[in-house]
Order: sequence, then structure tokens, then C-alpha cells
Amino acid sequence: MGKYILKRMAHLIWILLAVSFLTFLLMYLAPGDAAEKKLNAQGISVSQEVLERTRQEMGLDRPFLVQYGDWLLGVLRLDLGSSYKDGFPVGEKLARGLGSTLVLALWSLLLSLAVALPLSLLAALHRDGPLDRILRFLSFVGNSLPGFLLSVLLMYLFCVRLRLLPVLADRSLKGLLLPGLSLAIPLCSRFLRQFRAELLEQLGRSYVTGAVTRGVKARYILFRNVLRNASISILTIVGLSVGSLMGGSVVIETIFRWPGLGKLAMDAIRDRDLPVIQGFVLLTAVIYVGINLLTDIAYHWVDPRVREE
Amino acid sequence: MKRIVALVLAVLLALGLLGCAKTEKPAETPAAEPQILKLAESFAYPSLDVHKEYYGWYTSIYGISETLFRVGDDLSIQPLLAEKAETSEDGLTWTVTLAPKAAFSNGKALTADMVARNLKRLAEVNPRFAYLADFNISAAGDQTLTIVTPQIYPTLLSDLTAPELGIMDLDGTADFDNAPVCTGPFVLKSFQPEGTVEVEKNTAYWNEAVKLDGAIFYYMQDDESKLLAMQSGEIDGYTSVTAAAKDIYAADPSRYVLTQIPATRLQFYVLNETRMDDVLRRAVNLAADPGAIAAYLGGTVSPAVGPFTSAAPYGKVTKPAPDPEAAKAALEGAGYTLNKDGFYERDGQPIQLNICYYAARSLDSIAILLQEQLKAVGIDSILTVQEDPDSTYIATGDFDIALYCMIADKAGDPYYCIDALFRQDSRWAIAGFRSDACEALINELQFETNVTRRAELANQIVQMVIDDNAFGFVGLFNKTTVTRKGVEGIAENCPFDFYGVDANTGIG
Amino acid sequence: MLLKPRRKRSRKKLRLRMILLLTLACLLALTAVLAPLLTPNDPNATDSGAMNYAPCREYPFGTDRYGRCVCSRVLMGARTSVFCALALVVAAFLLGSILGMLAGYYSGAADTLVMRLADVLLSFPQMVLAIAVAGILGGGMGNAMLALGITSWTLYARLARAQVLSLRKEAYVQAARLSGCSTPSILLRTMLPNMLGPLAVNAAAQLGTTMVGLAGLSFLGIGVREPHAEWGSMISAARGYIQLAPWSVLFPAGAAVLTVMVFNLLGDCLRDWLDPEAAK
Repeated sequence: MGKYILKRMAHLIWILLAVSFLTFLLMYLAPGDAAEKKLNAQGISVSQEVLERTRQEMGLDRPFLVQYGDWLLGVLRLDLGSSYKDGFPVGEKLARGLGSTLVLALWSLLLSLAVALPLSLLAALHRDGPLDRILRFLSFVGNSLPGFLLSVLLMYLFCVRLRLLPVLADRSLKGLLLPGLSLAIPLCSRFLRQFRAELLEQLGRSYVTGAVTRGVKARYILFRNVLRNASISILTIVGLSVGSLMGGSVVIETIFRWPGLGKLAMDAIRDRDLPVIQGFVLLTAVIYVGINLLTDIAYHWVDPRVREE
Repeated sequence: MKRIVALVLAVLLALGLLGCAKTEKPAETPAAEPQILKLAESFAYPSLDVHKEYYGWYTSIYGISETLFRVGDDLSIQPLLAEKAETSEDGLTWTVTLAPKAAFSNGKALTADMVARNLKRLAEVNPRFAYLADFNISAAGDQTLTIVTPQIYPTLLSDLTAPELGIMDLDGTADFDNAPVCTGPFVLKSFQPEGTVEVEKNTAYWNEAVKLDGAIFYYMQDDESKLLAMQSGEIDGYTSVTAAAKDIYAADPSRYVLTQIPATRLQFYVLNETRMDDVLRRAVNLAADPGAIAAYLGGTVSPAVGPFTSAAPYGKVTKPAPDPEAAKAALEGAGYTLNKDGFYERDGQPIQLNICYYAARSLDSIAILLQEQLKAVGIDSILTVQEDPDSTYIATGDFDIALYCMIADKAGDPYYCIDALFRQDSRWAIAGFRSDACEALINELQFETNVTRRAELANQIVQMVIDDNAFGFVGLFNKTTVTRKGVEGIAENCPFDFYGVDANTGIG
Repeated sequence: MLLKPRRKRSRKKLRLRMILLLTLACLLALTAVLAPLLTPNDPNATDSGAMNYAPCREYPFGTDRYGRCVCSRVLMGARTSVFCALALVVAAFLLGSILGMLAGYYSGAADTLVMRLADVLLSFPQMVLAIAVAGILGGGMGNAMLALGITSWTLYARLARAQVLSLRKEAYVQAARLSGCSTPSILLRTMLPNMLGPLAVNAAAQLGTTMVGLAGLSFLGIGVREPHAEWGSMISAARGYIQLAPWSVLFPAGAAVLTVMVFNLLGDCLRDWLDPEAAK
């Protein structure tokens, strides 16, 4: 097990190297100039001299490999550099954004689980019943609604039509509601569908039929056997959903101006703020790969039969 | 099963209570007692260091920092921290006298030495003001500052109004990013980097009594959110109202006051002389209809003749009225013929112009509208949008028509804009506009100290550019401010973006 | 019994559903192809006299803030969405399958290279990567498609590789090889038909996701550009006008949801059809 984790960690380092190099290269090749963006921020035109000097101060005039190497050395010293835009340490900015994003992501994840778990169980138990049909339809619609559209419609409904919610989203429950819902609805729809399939799979196993014929109480079978056995797959499904949750939060945060990682990244891309983009890319890859790894480890831990490749 | 449901419900309920407890608190406090103004701002920065980047614009908006001179609503230069300024005979030495009462919010009096150190610090930390290092700045006494410039520098006072020149107590400030000590009518109460900023009355304000008890500035970039927040009463006002929101406010004059004044942000396009002949450029300028574009933009911009508002003495220029028929006639006179698609071509080569733009400051709308206006006279065009115009089409010159938006008038003087746009070594020279006569006039303008003569020179220069069809001036952004009825004095009558609350701001 | 026995869903019913959905999908595709002929007005023509009109006879879906016909733009938007999604999925399908098959067949360095590249790309949430790439490249239809396509091929590559690896040991493949068939012939004639099913199921499922992704990028302003009509950018542009002219948001939104639903249903149906075991 330890060896397996070590191997995966080594793999992660290689991935991080490749990802950071590719982003750096892409940024280098793509049009856009951080110095210009910074000096022109309020629409004041600057002379060529000032521009050249700023580029020099920011180190933008150095060759590509020197810039990348410099950045990489910094990362090895745990220094992600400072933002081109405002000179603030990237680590600090990321930490601040990560906090906000975590609040939003965890809240929508909890919301989705709270809804999807009981409902999918009910749907599986009453397969093809009216509830199952309704839920299947709803989860299908939820799966087809793009997150950005959902947030626009929710905003229209709750803020414009009903005037129920404040527009200034803060970290209170009310402020969290709309961005949280916009993230949770597609997530919950997917969970419903996947959990239901998994529960049906377990319910169809012969041990359930056997236990029922032996006269074991239905509630006992459900909680002691079915849910416990399904929990591994459910865990995996939740772990795999982190990717779409992160993608969704970039869009949702941009729409709701939620001060999280996603908005930070969008702003950084717009401002050609390379150090922030690099930091974001590294952090995203670490979180994503890390969670996949954790899911794997949990999988191994819960079910020792699973052997590594 | 029941237990799970109960648990889930309990958790949700607990979260709900937590959330309600947090949100309802401000609603419970009666709003009548302290006079707190709530505004929305489109930008928020991570630092309040007045001298760095554009942060000074916001410390000025927040009423925290002040400059030696300020620009009035009528674009005149008015004394603020400085009482007056005089030049020597040769025009090289400026003597600035500070207001005797001027003092920082910590009670310390403002000295000429402190001002000199501020200017030097600005030159060091802000590349846009590095030129100040070429000046010899020194304190000639407690209240007197002398600035010696190597060449005659007529626009010095207008330069001194820049909000980046806000004066900080360099000795009394421990944390420049989060808590600068300045002279303004308000002092910082709380600061969330790139977020909400709260200020309160500076009880020791040197100048006059401050009306408001405090103000809160929310960071809201999204126009839709600002509209909704205004409608729900969460904010008391904001500037740069969009056309759509304007219609909504205008429909309810009992609640909202709209103020619209011409401002100084210019939308224009450059015509590439290396690719388009005189006739084609003239046809494009005749086809483009700034009036119609302003109508589409719902009055958020005013149609422009030149780069400056025609109210200014240096904005007296003329250009022919839009005339599609004349545009067609000009093309036909130069041998262009209509092809079967309804577009002009010459020698079998259809015209297809490349309109480059970036999606900000309504330039995207202008691009769409311009394309349609050109189509109406039979000129075919394609749209190319870039994220960053400066390093793409402006750098490469790969365009026929390049749209751009910039502040044309920083502080009541035409030189900055003329220098940036029409010089032979400016970045716009890539479009091929060259005129030695024009360059000579610009050189004259640079050193001319007589204001009337400056205006004359500016008018001549701009007229040359217009007559050459080198540029097309489309619109000047209006500054549109909405306030809740009774709120006044949030710089709604000032054409610049860097003023906000001051001592006279009040909630009716 | 805990689990009620499943009502038999007949294959006939499935076929009926399949035909219905295929017809709908074809109708959508036909709309996309014929869009320029169907539009009641010029989709790009601006009209200062008709800004923010409510739906009426001349403008069935109303007009937007430039006075452009929303109905015509929605129709032209179908063209953009459907064409782009189809082109992207087909390209990813071809590229991914070919790379995957080659990697599986030849193993060794080629295999390592392709699979490691896929690993790097998959170490990133797909939409985050697409947003980053499109944002950095500066948007535009081509760049947006590239940004989405960068990861979508990996799915087919992995599938095809796994299939090739397992098929390689099958007797009939060995036989083909021994009888002197060339490599391309083995890959295309012997192996491809056997893996087309699972690949096609994935491709169908990806159509809907691709459309949503493209619309999302356009919504963020880093996808399809003006004056091109595209549902995502139409929604984004009209968002500020939702109080004044809700139709300019709701019609493109409805069109997007309906289309994505049809393609998603089609994907599900195809999976049930080709893989009856997985249908639950």
C-alpha cells in the first residue's frame, strides 16, 4: 500500500512538471502582455519607454526557458512568486480563493448528497413507480441544463421576479443559496442517476434475495448490507465528481462574483497574470489528482479485494 | 431511514439558523441613526497604497487620500492641499504653497518636505510617474515646495491633480497596503483586499465639516447585479449605468435620480493608411454614423466629433456629417463598382475590411454596428476580436479598422491625448498617418504655456487628423450615475472616474 | 421482496424510441443545415427602430438590444452549436481511436507517449482546462473547439487501446496476423468493427456535453464571437436585458436545453440499444 502511494506521488510530480511547463509555454506563445495590461488598467495610455521599463522590471524580456526555470526554482523553495497585476504573493491569493471555493463546493456537495442519497434509495426501492419516473425525468433535465444557464435563470427568478434573495452574495446561507444551487442541481442530478444504478445493482445481488428468503428484516438488509456495500461505489462517484465541481465552480463563481479560485483564475487569465495562473493550475492538479488518489486509497482500504494494477 | 432523514433535516435547519442569524443582523439595526452611504464600485484592488498602480484612484474615491490640486467639474484646476502655485519668469521653476491648515488624519500638519518625499516615492514605485524623478523637487520652507523642471513643462499642475499623487504620512503609516494615513475627509474602517471597503468620518478633517458618518463600497463588477442591488435597496448609487439599466431607472423618477454628463473616455477607430487609399477611408468615415451608434448605446455615449468634448475650448473641430450616398459616390468616382453580392469591388477585387476590436467599453457593440453601417453603403467587412489589442493588432498593424478606447483627457488639457495618438513615434503611427506639419504643431504644443494658444494648436492638430481621415472618432462616454433620491455629491457631476465621496456628500 | 421484478421493456419499444429520437435529431440537424433559408429576418441586421421588441408577427421571438431578430439568431445558433459539436466529436473520435489503436497495437514507446500525454491532460478537470486554454488563446470558435477537444480525444484513446489490447489475444486476430494481413488491415477490418459499439456509445453521450461546454465558453466570452449567433453568447449578451427583454434570453436558453436533451436522450437510447446489459 505504502509503495503504491509513493508510486502515485511520483506520478503526480511528473504530471505537475508537465502541466506547469505546458501552461507556461501556452502563455508565452499566446498574445497578451501583462505589463501592458497592468499599465493600461484604467485606460490611460503609456509611452513605449515606460512599457519597456516595466517589462524589464517584471522580467518579461528574458528568454522563455530562463523565465520558466526561475519560476520552477521558486516553486522548489515553496515560493509561487507574486502576481504581475498587484505584486501580492500568489500563495496568499490562492489560499484566500481556496477558502471561498471550499465553502461553496462543500456546501453544494453536502446539499447534493442530502438530497440524492435518500431519494435515490427510494427510487431504487420503488423501481418504475411514479416517484422513480419523476425523479428520473428531473435528474435528466438537471443533467441537460448547463450550469451557466441555471444560474442566470435562478437569478432571474429569485432576485428579479420574486425579490427573495439579496444580490450581494456574502458567505451567509442566503448569499450561498443561489451559487450553491447552481452547482448542486447538476451534481445532484448526476448523483441521483448513478446512486440509483448502484443501489439497483446491489439490490439485485443474490445475497439480498437469500437474506430475504431467510426472513431477515428488510431494514436490516438495507442498512447493514446494501448501503454498506454500495458505499464504496458511492464514494468513488463522489470522488470523481470533484472534477466537474471544480469546472462548474469556475463558471458559477464568475457569474456570481464569488471570490473563489475560479474567479481568481478567470481574472488572472484576462490580466495575463502568469504567476497566478501557474499557481492555480498547480493547485487544481494537486487537488484533482490528490482526491483521485484518496478515493483509490479509500477503495483499497474499504475493500481489500481490490488489487492495484 | 427515518433517522437519516431526521439527521439531514437537523443539519439543514442548523445551517439555516446560522445563515439567518448572520444575514438579518444588519437589517435589524435602524438605518436612520448613522448616515452610512452604500455604493457599488466596478473595481477593487488588493492594496490601498496611494502611489502604486491605480490604487490611488480608489483611495481618492473612498475619500481617504487628497492631492495638491484637484480638477473641478468644469475641468478647471482648483487648489486643495496646495493653496497656489506660481512659475518663475523662465517657466522652469514652480513654487507651490501648501494650505496652512492642511493636516493628516492623525493630526500631524502637512509639510512641504513630506510632499516632496511623497512625489519622490511615487516616482520610484510607479513607472507611469517615473518622469517625476527628472524634476528637482525640494522643500523651500514648511509650507513652500519648489519643483524645477529641466524643460518648460506647461502641464505640471494638471499632472499634479493625478490621484496617484495623493499625499500620505510616510512616517505615520505602518502598513501602506492596508492602512495608509492620509488627509482626506474619511479614514479607513475596514478593508477587504479586492472586496468591500468601509470608511468612516475623519473627525479631525482639516478642511471642513464632514456630513456623512461613513460609507461602504461594495465590489460589484456585474452590471446586472448593480441594477438588482439598486432595486432591492442594498446600495444607494453607482456610476457607469448601462443603457438597459438606465431605462429602468428613468421609469421610476420618484425613487432614482439619474445624472448624465459628458466624460472623457473616448471610443475611436484608426484607419490603416498603408492598406486603404484616401477614397476608401473617406467612404468609411462617411458611412460611420456616431449619432446612430450613440442611439443604439442608449445615450451611454455622446457622438464625438474629435477626441475632446466640443464644450472644451480645445474641442472646436468639425467633420462632415454621415452621408451614405456621398460615400457611395466617392467610391464610384474612384472606380469601384458594385458586385452581385451588393458590395463594392475594383478590378475584380472586392473590398473586405478587417475590423479589429476588443470586447470592452462597448467596443463590441460599436464593431457590430459599424459593420452594419459599412454594409449599408456596400463595404464588406469582417470582425476580428482580440483579448488584448495592445499586443495584437496595434503591435502588428494587421488591421484595416482598429477600434480602441482610452481616456482622452486626463485633467483638462489636450496634450496627453495628442501626444499618445498623433505623434510619428506613437504606437498608432503603425497605421501610417504621417504629417510633418502636424508633428511640428505637436512640438509647439508641448512647450506652449498660453492656454488659449494651446487650445488653438490642439484644434489645428485634430482638424488635420480628421481631414486626413486617419482616425474616426465615434463616441465620448457619458458618465451616468444613478443615486437613490436624496443622495448627492458622489462626484456625479465630475467627468473623471477617480473622485467619489467627499466632505459634502450627503444622504438627503 | 426488496426489489420488485423489472417490468420487461421490449426491444420493440426501445426501437420506437430510438426512431423517434433519431427523427428529432435529424430534424435538428436539418434545421441547422437549412437555417439560412428558414430565418424570417437577416440574423445580423441591426435596426435602431426596433430595439427590444416583444415577440410579434414580424419578429416571432422578439428582438435584442440591437434590434436583431432573436428567432433568426436562434435558428442560426442551431447551426453553430450542432455543427461545432458534431465536428468536434467526430474529430476527437477519429483522432482518439486511431491514437489508441496504434498505442495498443504497437505498445512500447508510442504507447507510453500517448498514454502519458492522456494522463497529463486527465490530471485536470476538463472544463477548467478548456476555460484556461480558450482564455489564454483568446477565444474564437476555432480556439474554443481546440480547448474542448484537447481532452475529449483521451476518452476514445483509452477505450480503443484497452479494446485492442484485449482483442490482440483473440484467436481470429491471431489468425488474421498469421495469414499475412497488413497492420492497417488488421486494425481496420478485424478490430475496428468489434470496438465500434462502445466507441459510438461514448461519442453519442459526448455530443450533449460538448454542446454545453461550447455554450459555456461562449457565455464566458471566450467562445464563439459576434456577430456569429450562438446560444451561449446570446444568453450572455442579453443577460443585462433580462428585465427589459426576457425573450432575448429565454428563447436561446430554451433552444439550448431542448437540443442538449434530445442528444442526451439519444445517447442513452443508443447505449441501451447496443449494450442491453447495462440498461437498468
